[in-house]
Amino acid sequence: MVSRRALEIATAILTGGFGVAVVVSSFDNGIGWSAAGVDAGTFPFLAGVIIVAGSLYNLARGVLPGGTLASVPVAITGIELRRLAGLFVPAALFVALIPIVGMYVASAGYVFAVLALPRHQSLLRSLAMASATPLALYVVFERMFQVTLPHGALAAAFGL
Amino acid sequence: MENLQELLHGFTIAVTVPHLVLMVIGVLLGILVGVLPGLGAPNGVSLLLPLTFGMQPVSAIILLSSMYWGALFGGSVTSILFNIPGEPSSVATTFDGYPMARDGRPTTALATAFGSAAFGALVGVILITFLASWVAQVALAFGPPEYFAVYFLAFASFVGMGGAAPIKTVVALAIGFAIAAIGIDTVSGSVRLTMGIDELVKGVSFVVAVMGLFGIGELLVAVEEEFHARGVSSRIDWKEVFRAVVRLPRHGIALLRSAAIGCWMGITPGGPTAASFMSYGIARRFSRRGRHFGTGEVEGIISPETADHAAGTSALLPMLSLGIPGSATAAVMMGGLMIWGLNPGPMLFVDQKDFVWGLIASMYVGNIVAVALVLLTVPIFAALMRIPFVIIAPLIVIICVVGAYSVSNSYLDVVMMLGFGVIGYLFKKMFYPLAPLVLAIVIGDKAEDAFRQSMLMSKGSLGVFFANPLVTSLVLAGLTLLLLPLALQIAHVLRKPREKALAPGPEDRSQQKLRIT
Repeated sequence: MVSRRALEIATAILTGGFGVAVVVSSFDNGIGWSAAGVDAGTFPFLAGVIIVAGSLYNLARGVLPGGTLASVPVAITGIELRRLAGLFVPAALFVALIPIVGMYVASAGYVFAVLALPRHQSLLRSLAMASATPLALYVVFERMFQVTLPHGALAAAFGL
Repeated sequence: MENLQELLHGFTIAVTVPHLVLMVIGVLLGILVGVLPGLGAPNGVSLLLPLTFGMQPVSAIILLSSMYWGALFGGSVTSILFNIPGEPSSVATTFDGYPMARDGRPTTALATAFGSAAFGALVGVILITFLASWVAQVALAFGPPEYFAVYFLAFASFVGMGGAAPIKTVVALAIGFAIAAIGIDTVSGSVRLTMGIDELVKGVSFVVAVMGLFGIGELLVAVEEEFHARGVSSRIDWKEVFRAVVRLPRHGIALLRSAAIGCWMGITPGGPTAASFMSYGIARRFSRRGRHFGTGEVEGIISPETADHAAGTSALLPMLSLGIPGSATAAVMMGGLMIWGLNPGPMLFVDQKDFVWGLIASMYVGNIVAVALVLLTVPIFAALMRIPFVIIAPLIVIICVVGAYSVSNSYLDVVMMLGFGVIGYLFKKMFYPLAPLVLAIVIGDKAEDAFRQSMLMSKGSLGVFFANPLVTSLVLAGLTLLLLPLALQIAHVLRKPREKALAPGPEDRSQQKLRIT
């Protein structure tokens, strides 16, 4: 279970962290006014400062009690969290596998795993959809629009 | 009546067999992404974008804009039949559309929605026809300070009128600016904000951002809810369609008022979502039957639908004539314009007459095509909603992954897309607005360039933004909008210190509904 407050704070820290990174990184390009006009780092610097300031405000609103947060204490319940993980974890694994096994194998495996493992669909139907997916990708992208999808390190090792 | 001549010329471009075919394809794909809960107009359009690179710009924009119209209509179908808004902008349609459909009048609800939507779109297109070239003419005289002032006004109006928490809007905007700055600086040529990752030199494509923020992000929000597409009958009774459309003029005032709200919110970048909510709220306050709103009231459908489509259509006006998109989808389309080698802004009306007027003419035709197609295909797309979400979700993930990859054949883009998905989810959950973020990613560079050029002109003095009446009034209007939430809050605190407790207003309800969009 994740409370609204925790999620609010986490989001503020995430945006604030990005803001700090932007501010620090903008120093490399110079801030302020030089012979060439406004320096390249000025705009990112200002954006970063605004992000940090806004995040601090949102963080304070998340930490301090009362206000609008009190009406919705729970942001994500346990069941919802499980559903979220059920979608996101396989998707992340799918993306992680692409450089190794290539888009086609990864997408087929992904569809099969998502449909067959939780027993949402019968084995046969899962297999059918898992094999139809890369086929459709091949026809639409490599044939119709001539976009070469990554074949992966495995295919390269076999010299494909 | 030079405009009308140009428009007629535009029709000769838009009404050709290949372009009509593109419209049908675009509208059907649009209804599809509009109906599917994980996909929406912004990322539908950005998915299609890489596939248009080889096309003529006018054909490409006809395809993409038709998809936009289709998506606007498709979102209303699921709102009315399933109480599941397919698009954030059709959330307000569920309030009265679904109760009416559930009471056994689905055809009436759908026909009323489509009829008023078509009216809203028509008003939007007429506005563009007569106003766009005039605005462009004025804008031709703009220098960098005026441009920066207009950009500033656009960003400020998100803060002042966007409806989300002002500080969250500011944070979203600033993040968009920072992301836009990643890569090679167009003025000095130096590399910025790559944080040690060499591949980031090429910058972060807004297409990748949109696919993650809207595609994966919405999917994650949608999967949380137990998905029950318990829809009402989706059979269309054509006689009832006719009757509902004939009854529409009786609500003339509601139609006109909603269209005006929609056009206003579309041109000042408030976007269709804010427009539909605002229009619904105002209708409930002013209608004689306001008390019955929420139980299947006709005006409760007319108001959000008209405003939604009027805003969606008129959002293209500032995109064409100023280079400032009025909604997230318009921002994506404008990014497309730049990729096709066109320069959005007033020069379009001088250099690219065929493109501009072909697009405007296609908006008339495209919306008619959309109304006809959506009525014909309601049963098919309603059946699509009965496919279990567990099957649709992985397919959408794959489409987004492949789509992100195909932008520039980069694996890093895929990883970033997934990252943007998490951000999109968090932002949606915590009510950070996504449209200003996308807008800032697309036009952040241009706003920065305008600012730096102004500074070069004035040798570093901010006085250039108060140098003439036009730029002064633009800047002042922007500042007013920026400070409006603060002023309202102070007034609110001063007037009634502790009256706001309890009593869940319509905003609470709408925010709860927004969670599933």
